[in-house]
Amino acid sequence: MPFLAADPVAHGVPTIDEAVLWAILAVPFAAWLAIVVYVRKLPQAAGWLSAAAIGVAMVLSYVTLFNVIDADGGVAIHTHEWFRTGLGEGPEDLVVNIGLRIDGLSAVMLVVVTTVSFLVQVYSTGYMSGDHGYGRYFAHMCLFTTSMLGLVLADNLFMMFMFWELVGLSSYLLIGFWFHKPSAAAAAKKAFIVTRIGDLGLLAAMLLIWSRTGELGVAEIQEIAIAGTVPQWVITWFALGIFAGAAGKSAQFPLHTWLPDAMEGPTPVSALIHAATMVAAGVYLVARFFPVFEHTEDASTVVAYIGGLTALMAASIALVQTDFKRVLAYSTVSQLGYMIMALGLGGYVAAIFHLFTHAFFKALLFLGSGSVNHSTNTFDMRLMGGLRKYMPITYFTFLIGSLSLAGVPPFAGFFSKDEILLDAWRENRGLWVIGVAVAFMTAFYMFRAIFLTFHGQYKGGQPVDHHDEDSHFHGDPAHPHESPWVMTAPLIVLAVPAVAAGWFAWDHMFADFINGALPEVHAHGSTFEWGIAISSTAVALAGIFSAWAIYERKWVTSASIRDGFAPLAFLFERKYFLDELYEGLIVKTIMQRGWNRLLELNDKYIVDGVVNGSGQVVRWGSGRLRTIQTGQVQSYGLGLLAGVIVIVVAVYSANPL
Amino acid sequence: MSDLDIVGPQLAVLVAAAAVLLVDALIPQHRRIVPFVALAGLALSAAWTLSWVARDDYQTAFEGTLSLDKFSVFFYFLFAGITATVVLASIDWVNRAGRGQGEYYALVLTSCAGLMFLSASRDLITIYVALELSSIPQYILAGWGKDNRSSEAGLKYLLLGAVASSILLYGMALLYGLTGTTMLDGIADAIAADGESHRSLLVLASVLLIAGFGFKMAVVPFQMWVPDVYQGAPTPVAAYLSVGSKAAAFAVVLRIFFEALGEGFLSDDWSTVFAVLAAVSMTVGNVMAVVQTDIKRMLGYSSIAQAGNFMVGLAAISVSGEEFTLGASSVLVFLAAYAFTNLGAFIAVIAISQRIGSDQIKDYAGMWKRSPVLALALAFCLVSLTGIPPTAGFWAKMYIFNAGIRADLAWLVIIGVLNSVISGYYYLSVARQMFLGDAEGADRVRVSPSIGLSLGVATLGVLVFGILPTPLISAAKDAAEIFSRQ
Repeated sequence: MPFLAADPVAHGVPTIDEAVLWAILAVPFAAWLAIVVYVRKLPQAAGWLSAAAIGVAMVLSYVTLFNVIDADGGVAIHTHEWFRTGLGEGPEDLVVNIGLRIDGLSAVMLVVVTTVSFLVQVYSTGYMSGDHGYGRYFAHMCLFTTSMLGLVLADNLFMMFMFWELVGLSSYLLIGFWFHKPSAAAAAKKAFIVTRIGDLGLLAAMLLIWSRTGELGVAEIQEIAIAGTVPQWVITWFALGIFAGAAGKSAQFPLHTWLPDAMEGPTPVSALIHAATMVAAGVYLVARFFPVFEHTEDASTVVAYIGGLTALMAASIALVQTDFKRVLAYSTVSQLGYMIMALGLGGYVAAIFHLFTHAFFKALLFLGSGSVNHSTNTFDMRLMGGLRKYMPITYFTFLIGSLSLAGVPPFAGFFSKDEILLDAWRENRGLWVIGVAVAFMTAFYMFRAIFLTFHGQYKGGQPVDHHDEDSHFHGDPAHPHESPWVMTAPLIVLAVPAVAAGWFAWDHMFADFINGALPEVHAHGSTFEWGIAISSTAVALAGIFSAWAIYERKWVTSASIRDGFAPLAFLFERKYFLDELYEGLIVKTIMQRGWNRLLELNDKYIVDGVVNGSGQVVRWGSGRLRTIQTGQVQSYGLGLLAGVIVIVVAVYSANPL
Repeated sequence: MSDLDIVGPQLAVLVAAAAVLLVDALIPQHRRIVPFVALAGLALSAAWTLSWVARDDYQTAFEGTLSLDKFSVFFYFLFAGITATVVLASIDWVNRAGRGQGEYYALVLTSCAGLMFLSASRDLITIYVALELSSIPQYILAGWGKDNRSSEAGLKYLLLGAVASSILLYGMALLYGLTGTTMLDGIADAIAADGESHRSLLVLASVLLIAGFGFKMAVVPFQMWVPDVYQGAPTPVAAYLSVGSKAAAFAVVLRIFFEALGEGFLSDDWSTVFAVLAAVSMTVGNVMAVVQTDIKRMLGYSSIAQAGNFMVGLAAISVSGEEFTLGASSVLVFLAAYAFTNLGAFIAVIAISQRIGSDQIKDYAGMWKRSPVLALALAFCLVSLTGIPPTAGFWAKMYIFNAGIRADLAWLVIIGVLNSVISGYYYLSVARQMFLGDAEGADRVRVSPSIGLSLGVATLGVLVFGILPTPLISAAKDAAEIFSRQ
């Protein structure tokens, strides 16, 4: 069949100018800087400045993509020495490079990130209008986009790690964007801490590989893994460390608990960061080091099972959610589990292909949920219903996204999900069964959401609380309406790839393109099998039919099903008690009993000291005669630094070097 | 196992810190023994150090990052002695403060262990960790008092300490970047091999290190925190800061600069910096001390001036040949003499201010009549600080100025002598108040046994080394041998 398969193809070298790649990074960064500096003067300009800058980055990304296509997905690396330690050229010196790498994989990621980000910026100018933190919002968005692009383009682990942390930081800032809401502040903190646990693994992996080989470059590490010049345990632990980082960012079990809470951020943020880009960063990282995982059976097995477990667990929780956005959040966790599982099974092409299609249709679904919220002032599906009549554009685009996610042909999700199931069928039948079960659940919960939200009778939404000064909801939830064009236009634009992105599978186009990023290509990989395609389509349709039967036709009531599976449903509703476990064991026992005691002391003796002392300082300082010894700690610090500068200048001028 | 044996003196102190906490928590009815548990730990530590002296088998531990040599042994004894004296002097104060018995002593002991590690470290990372280990308890201790002024002192010390610490880290990072190693001997080798071409960066690194440690040594222009913190912190803590952390800073500066950065082309630059800082510190410290009315502030400025005196020894590295170690040994002699003297002065101040409830110098008037012992002891320590025989301070100044003269730093020595004259004015004016002034109150000032014991030890030390300085000087010479080069 003329679908995905891999006959090795000769790859050229992309000729794209290095300056273009740097510009992709620099333009959003400059926008961030401009917004940060001028935000107070021109808050309204921030939105359009941000959209324009990311638009420029998007155009440049497409230019880059076509250039890489011309080179049949070859690799180009531009690397420069950043700094080194040691006086000589000793072999033990730590050399840190700064460099960019462009190949099929990074070109695809560039396009995904900039396209979704651009559309989200446009959408946000409408969604966020009237918010007090309008300028701050777009500054964070630009910072995030820059970091994400830097992560994608980096050619060495050190630089990747830097951008990786920056991505985490901007995600933290955006989840906690409405920081005066305690739930948002808590969610931001949770996301930051949980992903940091994974990052520790990434850091450990980086230190391990550097101490063993002295290399940090992606290409060098790949070659070392292929050549097998280091002991096997190094490769395995390196791979597991990388995967730990990926599991944090990509919300894999047991570090997945932060992602659903992260929905406290503004909805466009969820669409960009927690659906399309940042959460895909973990998948990207594993894919970037795919040759390493190929050379360690143990680590790959761990990856595959963690992925499968995450997919199953998250999908089952999504079945019982009543919050529209949380359904999508658990769906994202589940689909990321799919990708991770595919990578563990050797399905590099399938995973990246699913990442590619998923980014579009999941961003579409999130933006659709935001559009619904814009009109009803709630995410609670029990307060919705019948919105099909009032919001036709949102409804149809959402339907397209859902069909794509459910895996119905010829929508995009069908092709990529099919690849993953095919790899699972070949490599591990147990995981294939899980994959099929997840596919059924996915179709079911998506259409459950659609029937609850868009069909039936409208239940009035959430009344506006006019006393809440922070609420910037304007409109009347009792009379829902379609969103303005800046919000619907991105939905329509995203619906196109949600339908068609899967067609790149034709004639191995996608596979050949991203295989060029790997130093060695195996014939292993997907093609097409009617059996898998038909069975997965049938499962998806069965899921949709079940949802229709229960929520539209009401042949069976959902309550009776819930009662029939009461223990299971309870388990799902409580999210497998993981939050309680973490909260009880780690937070309550270790943190509160031990660490908090320490912090309490700190508060008592140091922080209170600031509060009580500062007034004292002023009163005391003002009464003093000598101007130098003011008692002001700032001026002392300044004096310290001034002292250093004076000495340095004096030494250098007394003794010209 | 042998590594643990080598760091035994520190372990003993840390174990005592844990024991102190446990005793306080588990048998609160016997809380009175807490300081004695601390003293026992310090005694054990000193005994362990003594066993190494007896074994005469000096070696390094933990892959060379910690060195047990005569230099560190000298400081182990010094720190154990300082800490024991401070613990004794704290008993009354802590009892009156009435809270956190265990925590207070545990923090003092932890800080002491940090100081010991600091004097033994031969690796930049270890030095940094040891520095923080000793500093963090000090920050908390400075804010231990119940009043706002103490909290303010703790916070100021913490914030400025963080700034200084970051400057220090820049210097260390630069040094590591230039030489590719954090071990002091490795740095020395790298600089000897190919340092001259990177001279300007090495000088920058040296200055950053001087600034970072200068904060702890309390020399101008990194001294701003000193008067505020000494005045605000509980007096026993101020006493501890004025001798303990200062001595450790000088120890580590000696190690870094004499061992790692001792290469001739480099030491010419930094010894000049030290000489200029020494002159400025002495002058600024003394001039500011003259106008103080609060005795703790006065002692704060005095400690800045004294740090200037120490620095003469650091600047005296350019003594050549077999006397290369003269500067280093003179610093050690001065440190030990100053430790006894300053502790004695601070303990006398603790005893007096506890009774009269004031730190104002004018309230010391007529102290001779209210407590002849305290007045005599304080006056004796102030005489030693001025540098008049027969006190330890006299020999210390003699010895360090001698090193300065040998190193062709006659100008610096002249400034030092002039400053001694200025310092005589404010030190002795306190003594004059005590002996010639009219007493404000008639009630006698009594001394508790623990204060009396610690004050006795300190002043006895000042007197004994003032009469028989040879053991101290030969111990310092032995310790400084590690810097000798043939």
